[in-house]
Amino acid sequence: MQVVVKNLNYTYSKNSKSVAVKALKGINLTIEEGEFFGIIGETGSGKSTFIQHLNGLIKTTKEDCECLKIGEFDLTEKKCNYKKLRSKVGMVFQYPEYQLFAETVEADVMFGLKNCKPEMTEEEKSSAVKKALELVGLNYYEIKDKSPFELSGGQKRRVAIAGVLVLEPEVLILDEPAAGLDPKGKRELLKLLKEIHGKTVKTTVIVSHDMNLIMEECDKVALFHKGNVAKVDAPENIFKDKELVSLCGLKFPLTASLYHALKEKGVSLKTNLKVENFIKAVTEYYKGEQR
Amino acid sequence: MKDVAFGQYFPSNSVIHKMNPAIKLLLAIAFIVAVFLVRAFHFLGFGVCFAFLISVTIIAKIPFSKMLKSIKAILFFIIFSAVIQIFFNKKGTPLWENGFITDVALLNAGYIIVRITLVVLGASLLTFTTSPVELADGIEVLLTPLKLVKFPVHEFALIMSIALRFIPTLLDETDRIIKAQKARGADFESGNVFKRIKALVPVLIPLLISSFRRADELADAMDARCYAGSKNRTRYKKLEVAFKDVFAIIVMAGLITAVVFLNKFNLIPYLAAVV
Repeated sequence: MQVVVKNLNYTYSKNSKSVAVKALKGINLTIEEGEFFGIIGETGSGKSTFIQHLNGLIKTTKEDCECLKIGEFDLTEKKCNYKKLRSKVGMVFQYPEYQLFAETVEADVMFGLKNCKPEMTEEEKSSAVKKALELVGLNYYEIKDKSPFELSGGQKRRVAIAGVLVLEPEVLILDEPAAGLDPKGKRELLKLLKEIHGKTVKTTVIVSHDMNLIMEECDKVALFHKGNVAKVDAPENIFKDKELVSLCGLKFPLTASLYHALKEKGVSLKTNLKVENFIKAVTEYYKGEQR
Repeated sequence: MKDVAFGQYFPSNSVIHKMNPAIKLLLAIAFIVAVFLVRAFHFLGFGVCFAFLISVTIIAKIPFSKMLKSIKAILFFIIFSAVIQIFFNKKGTPLWENGFITDVALLNAGYIIVRITLVVLGASLLTFTTSPVELADGIEVLLTPLKLVKFPVHEFALIMSIALRFIPTLLDETDRIIKAQKARGADFESGNVFKRIKALVPVLIPLLISSFRRADELADAMDARCYAGSKNRTRYKKLEVAFKDVFAIIVMAGLITAVVFLNKFNLIPYLAAVV
């Protein structure tokens, strides 16, 4: 499913002029099917507000938005079927483990199915839950009867993500999925997201402050700044633009900082900024020097 | 959810805002007593109370629209009490032959409307001009005598201010959890009352759990700073009684005297006799 957004505006507390805040000022953005899409920007740049529009948690109107289409769903229409939309567009919030509530892991993961696909039989539901839990790397038989509150932090997060994946969304949106995890948990989670991407999930959208993650994993990145989209491009093109990234108040991924530091010393590398390629380019350059 | 205004503090730098909250609280109670002192059909007393309210509102720089809004919140209650009076009070003479509404009932309804309105406006004036934290401080001061019977006044006030402090945080959290569950297809808007209450379980349980977590964290943070309750604690904001507070007390005493005095002048002697 393709996501097309044209001239999307949103104002918080629209009705009281004294506290109204313009959060989105004419967003234009297209996310193609199959992309691993990154969204970066300072706190308060409108990222979270934007992604909440994508599955109708914040509803928009024709007045505020020229076009907001996800596949066949037109979100500017009043009669848009949000339940159906939400099973197609999965949303994983920051610290999703705080949304767990049921007595068992199985019941919690099943919550979405009960809401969105009540026509399924119990067996179908159970097998969908099994599939989702296995997708996030958990053993269904071991974990299904446990209370979600006795799990470890990393496990809780996986269960929460499984609770979204169980609906088999085609678009998966994640807000800071790795926040608060240790480096190992972070790596594992990303590996997992990469694996899921291309299976049932066709398009992944990640919001993150972790520039290294964005640089390594994303095909395309949108840079948000004060409620506008400053630039949409491949991540290396964005991070090579030193002025723009600094202007938007963001940090650079490690490779990009090195790239800019070397450039200042007069060394101009011809490489993209993925760690592996960057190391290759640097070693080749110094081998050339020594010869 | 964010639009829920809790407390209705309206910041401004008027004299009323700067008054000692404990005294303000006492005076608000005194005002309510004054309103209740006005005897039935002695409407002159109400006039004095209204004049007092309006002048305080002007001094405190509170917009009248705000005051009207606070009445709006309990409009249903006011109308309900008035309607009950009109239909069920059988004293006095019917307004028309064999009618079921009497003159006393009608006047009584008006009396009740004015009374409730005055009480609500007085209380709102207190919350408009006093922040919740100041109010908690004020209550602590007023409860101090209870220390004699070993009532943990300081702890009680602390609990109150912590509760007040966390209301916005919990509202934010609720908003977040509702959105997360909505994203999983939860439906809070359709179905009958029971269905809707049941739909709230996936919100309430995570909320409860995170409240416990926050409480734990806060307790740890307080422990880490060696917090040890009321003994020998000094205050950041000392509550002092200034000239403006004394002046306010004198004005209030004047108001109560006026009300009691005006109770002697009955505008509708015939009805008073009936009641």
